[in-house]
Amino acid sequence: MIRHLFKMIWNKKKQNMLLMVEMLASFMVVFAVFTLLVYNYQNYRREMGFESDNVWVINFNNSENIASLDTILMFREAIRNQLKSMPEIKAVSYSSANVPFSMSTHNGTLDHNKQGISSVNRYTGEDSYDDVLDLELKEGRWFTKADFGLKDNAVVINSALRERLFGTGPAVGQYIGDVSGDERRNKIVGVVKDTKFKGDFQAVEYDMFHRADTGSYRYLSQLIVKVIPGASTDFEGRLHKTMSSAIKNANVEIEHLSEKRVVRNNLSLVPMIILLIVAGFLIINVALGLFGVLWYNISKRRGEIGLRRAVGASGVSISKQLVGEALVLSTLSLIIGSFFAIQFPLLHLFDLPSGVYIMAWLLSLLFIYLLVMLCAFYPGRQAAAINPAVALHEE
Amino acid sequence: MLKNYFKIAIAVLRRRKFFTFISLFGISFTLTILIVLAAFINNIARSAYPDKKRDRSLYVMLMDQRSEKNGRNSGPPSFYFLDHYVGSMKTPEKISIASMFNATNTYINNKKLVINVKYTNDAFWDVMEFDFVEGKPYITQQIKNADKVTVITRDTRDSYFGEGVSAVGKYIETDNETYRVIGVVEDVPVTMLYAYGDMYLPYTLSKRDYLSKELNSNYTAVLLAKSAADLDQMKSEYQDVVSKVPVKGKEFDKLYSHADTYVASYTRILLGDGMESGIGKMFLILSLVAFLFMLLPTINLVNINTSRIMERSSEIGVRKAFGASSGTLVLQFITENIILTFLGGIIGLLLSWGIIFYINQSNLIPNIHLTIDFGVVFLGVLCCLVFGFLSGVYPAWRMSRLHVVTALKAN
Repeated sequence: MIRHLFKMIWNKKKQNMLLMVEMLASFMVVFAVFTLLVYNYQNYRREMGFESDNVWVINFNNSENIASLDTILMFREAIRNQLKSMPEIKAVSYSSANVPFSMSTHNGTLDHNKQGISSVNRYTGEDSYDDVLDLELKEGRWFTKADFGLKDNAVVINSALRERLFGTGPAVGQYIGDVSGDERRNKIVGVVKDTKFKGDFQAVEYDMFHRADTGSYRYLSQLIVKVIPGASTDFEGRLHKTMSSAIKNANVEIEHLSEKRVVRNNLSLVPMIILLIVAGFLIINVALGLFGVLWYNISKRRGEIGLRRAVGASGVSISKQLVGEALVLSTLSLIIGSFFAIQFPLLHLFDLPSGVYIMAWLLSLLFIYLLVMLCAFYPGRQAAAINPAVALHEE
Repeated sequence: MLKNYFKIAIAVLRRRKFFTFISLFGISFTLTILIVLAAFINNIARSAYPDKKRDRSLYVMLMDQRSEKNGRNSGPPSFYFLDHYVGSMKTPEKISIASMFNATNTYINNKKLVINVKYTNDAFWDVMEFDFVEGKPYITQQIKNADKVTVITRDTRDSYFGEGVSAVGKYIETDNETYRVIGVVEDVPVTMLYAYGDMYLPYTLSKRDYLSKELNSNYTAVLLAKSAADLDQMKSEYQDVVSKVPVKGKEFDKLYSHADTYVASYTRILLGDGMESGIGKMFLILSLVAFLFMLLPTINLVNINTSRIMERSSEIGVRKAFGASSGTLVLQFITENIILTFLGGIIGLLLSWGIIFYINQSNLIPNIHLTIDFGVVFLGVLCCLVFGFLSGVYPAWRMSRLHVVTALKAN
């Protein structure tokens, strides 16, 4: 049966060639879309790893004019105490500019055992940083006052980096190189769960948290605060006033993490929606085209079909044959398409995990088969309904 | 002759309505998407309120300091650089200096307002042609005195003082400072980075130290030439100025900054590198995307056209038998196809007009106003031609090679 179908397709190779090119092109488009969707969906399903509700960010960019480090430290301490004394505020921490959902990233290459691990995110926070963001510790502990003034820097890493560096071996208490390449040793004191600081669609990344030391206060110009649920705008106004009268020469801006999250997610969502609309239109276009061409081809073969009916073929077997032909045709183009698709995981283009490509490949195969079956079904039914007497009479 | 082709084309279109529908659907939607995209790009690139003199302006948004060892420090230049070095240039008629917008908060009647503040010099008001709803801009003397005066946009006025309430002479508070409103201007879309802000202030009020001699900070400049012919001279003078800037400290050893045309000032940030502006790269990427996007509908159309043409084999056979050359037939079918694509193009234009109308109405992107201008329509027509030609050539060629006898016999 299949051999017969192949023969029929081969006999009309010129006409079928174009159909195959069309199916091939649609397969590639569908494959691209599914890859993106599967990738984003997998990332979306992972837990956030921290709590962003009721967390506010206070930006006070710039304090260039303050001279000595001691003044800065005292000044920062005073602000922290002032904020802590407010009943609406549960926890406060200074933070580097790469607060969750911000556009700012600090990353670099981490040297460990002579191998460089690139793109390790570097966050700086205080002892209360994990309270503000509700980070979940898996091993060890977060920074404490005891980490101050030691020879080694205390750092916390996330699970992904832990696995990359130590596999299943012990991590807490180990030493790793510094991201910036300076020679001071970093001692791991804890491991936190992977977080999605860059929005719901962020892939797993390597994170490293540093304890804010005296030198870093010069450039820390962000505060993150955890407020009680339902803190009012009125309170926010007071908080703003407090901050701007405390830091005279700075612009003070308060942002809510929940709002920043929406903005950040839109950066991933909007291109995805546009792509889906465009791809959807392309698919409708292709479906209509396939349908039209198949229908036309079948209507040209009335004589042949009439003859088969006359010698005893049932209507079902006729429509089966026509749908089968379309499926064999699509199989041929899908084989070529798969050859191209397989290059993506093999050549490590775009740096996505192979599982994503395989899933996307399976989904696209299924999608194209369904599409072709749908397009061939109605013309097949029409053909099955051909009355042999009428068809043969025309001939 | 052409009239005849037209008649035949219409007759064929009406014969197989389903096929006609598929063709028109494909063409019109492809064009709609391309036209809406073009309208967006056009909206970003062309001169518009308040930046109306783009044809004789150059833009500066990037100061790129580098060294082999310490990596790079790139971002907007500082006020000092723009004022001290760029300010000494001879060719520009006016140099507008303005900061990037900074978000500030104000709390009024239990409501939070986010006001984006832009610090500017006085030439900003001459280079940008703002429409004043009321009042006027601040002048050199007010900047020198560091007077606490401000120009706000209509939106800011409406949400702070109430809809349509006159604001000139009143006081507005943001970021814990109070300013006297001296002017209200029409709103600017956020896509106009050089002009956008909710509130404009004299640069002397900036809380950042605008006298700091750092080269990188957060200011941008627009250099206005006397005429478009002076742009090249202005570019080279700018390079002269940049080459004289001492690279301070041990940190960096190379310094790049350019005065670019509007679009190039953006592509330089996204795709540029050192001396390369990245505008060529952008065109390449855009045309590649458009090509890939049009590929599928074109193949689809080729498929449909082939079916349709083969259906007319008897007509072709007869015409050939009576001596029509292959060339004439190919020409006829391509003409017919172009007529079809133009029909689709008209529908596509109407559709995109509707979509653009919707985007403008719904305020999907605040204050943006998309238009379909002559350039976009021209692009649409060009797309139609290419589309019609490409999808018509192959089927016509297939058809013209039909043997007379087979063509006649087929029926």
